[in-house]
Amino acid sequence: MNPFVVMDCVLLTRMSGLQEAASLRELRERVAVCSENVLYHHFHETLLRPTFDYPDYHNDFAVWAKLHLADPLLAERFGIIDPFSFSSLEELRGVMLEIIDERLNVLSISPTVSRGSEFYFFEADTVVFDTGDRICSPAELAPVVSRMSTGSIFFHFIEAHRREPIDMDDFSAWLIQFGDETSDLRDALQTIDNAFLTLSEMRNEICDRLSAQNP
Amino acid sequence: MEKSLLMYEACAGCSAIRQLRMLGEKLSGSRVVHVNSTREGGGVAEILAWMVPLMRDLGIDASWEVIRGAGDFFSVTKSIHNGLQGFPISISQKGWETYHGTNETNAERLRSSLEDAEIVVIHDPQPAPLLNLCEGRKGKWVWRAHIDISHPYLPVWKTLRTIVKGYDASIFSMPQFALPLPHPQYLVTPSIDPLSEKNCDLRPDELEAVRARFGLDPSRPLLVQISRFDRFKDPLGVIDAYRLVKKVQPVQLVLAGGGATDDPEGAEVLQEVMEAAKGDQDIHVLLLPPDAHRTVNALQRVADVIIQKSLREGFGLTVTEGLWKGKPVIGGDTGGIRKQVVDYHTGFLVNTPEGAAHRIRFLLHHREKMKVMGEKAREFVRENFLLTRHLRDYLILFHALLSGSREPRIYV
Repeated sequence: MNPFVVMDCVLLTRMSGLQEAASLRELRERVAVCSENVLYHHFHETLLRPTFDYPDYHNDFAVWAKLHLADPLLAERFGIIDPFSFSSLEELRGVMLEIIDERLNVLSISPTVSRGSEFYFFEADTVVFDTGDRICSPAELAPVVSRMSTGSIFFHFIEAHRREPIDMDDFSAWLIQFGDETSDLRDALQTIDNAFLTLSEMRNEICDRLSAQNP
Repeated sequence: MEKSLLMYEACAGCSAIRQLRMLGEKLSGSRVVHVNSTREGGGVAEILAWMVPLMRDLGIDASWEVIRGAGDFFSVTKSIHNGLQGFPISISQKGWETYHGTNETNAERLRSSLEDAEIVVIHDPQPAPLLNLCEGRKGKWVWRAHIDISHPYLPVWKTLRTIVKGYDASIFSMPQFALPLPHPQYLVTPSIDPLSEKNCDLRPDELEAVRARFGLDPSRPLLVQISRFDRFKDPLGVIDAYRLVKKVQPVQLVLAGGGATDDPEGAEVLQEVMEAAKGDQDIHVLLLPPDAHRTVNALQRVADVIIQKSLREGFGLTVTEGLWKGKPVIGGDTGGIRKQVVDYHTGFLVNTPEGAAHRIRFLLHHREKMKVMGEKAREFVRENFLLTRHLRDYLILFHALLSGSREPRIYV
């Protein structure tokens, strides 16, 4: 059996090259053409950023709509988007554009923000480190996960969905080799609703589910 | 004493150190040269003073060069600096010639070292022309802008842009500081050294000695702003805020800062501050020597409230230092201060002397809240603004540039 290789990751953020958006119309124009990495960053990688309390919304577009565009209705519509529910980032982009178009259609003018409150489009390089830790059996998984950094949780549980096997976290993918005896464990992991969890909460949830299945 | 990475493990954690060692292995033996315009005074010199030894500790052949110039050169670069921060300032043809001429002289001295390096990091605009003066360069050149150039005076930026557009990459502290350039623009926030004289723990008797030395009354609240005497730091606004608070609370104010060798305006601003403080025994204006790090450390620790009421700010390392001392900071709502000061969590952002006075009074009336905010502030710095994270970002960037990889995922 192949051991589970525990990785850690950090981000190095850079400007995407797109001009910042100062209005909803400009946001639409940029979202229509931005790379998938930009969309991914603003929907998923925000998890790696520090927060002091529970943010109302987890994606940057919803936060901007609420705090800077002062459009709570739009913020709610962006906020409920679950990026994990789409089969591709292109599909996610399509939904974003639909929401913006509907809103622009209702508003008589495209709302703008003051200087300094523009939406900046970023992307990030994910830098991956081998921690040197290895897991050899499913029973070892929970205790090791409980000690993982938030970077490791992000890499194995969020970022994993972009890698082969697509749309599966690394823990579930690794457990497949143990056959039917781990099917309950895999089900337990794959039904975690991670859209509203911080990375620390995700770590706790993963541990709880693994421990419940494998006490 | 030169510090080793191991000494930071207690503050930053072992995984941070392990990441650095792994990156160091990848870059081992690479020649990296940093160039700036002053060895002492200001945040950039402080960063380089720890970063270069730690890069060496990781096996990187790192060095730090400082460009030399006469007073007229630093007058021009100060004007460029002010222009980039939005001050409408005219720079004469002769001024630009002085700027280029001094860089040419420095290029003669530094050329072989810069042309041979795998990575050259040029800090701020002063040495920026060196790129085009090193035609035989082999490595990657990075322009590191530490200042806020988001709304520059355009004639100054237009000229500087022709110089910096040739770099392989640039680094900004905040996205708002960046302007379009035809190369990748990375975002790296600065940091502090928790073991430096300015940030290390101090014994109570040392704090008391500093209090006694400057005649500070331990029974009355103390407000402290540490920064250069620079108009963008708004020392006069701080005095206004202090006076508003003093109407209702018996407070004291310390305005302390050093001069930097590349800032000829400092003396003029200091004079204005002395004038404004005249006749008030509770305002202590202190011009400190560049090596007064322990004094600054002690002043921040004996402060009840730390202020950094800047009108424009690059990142604001004095804010980071204040937060690391477990104090909430009242900061100007500008630049990198916004990234560090979060209302009701690590301090308050303000726009006017009135706003600063209001928040000072709030904190002095809510001592328990102030304590909780201070604890949060220290943890916030530990997670985000210690030098280990800063060093890691640089090493990742070097690694990405040297590998030439365009992949969004880099395995180390």
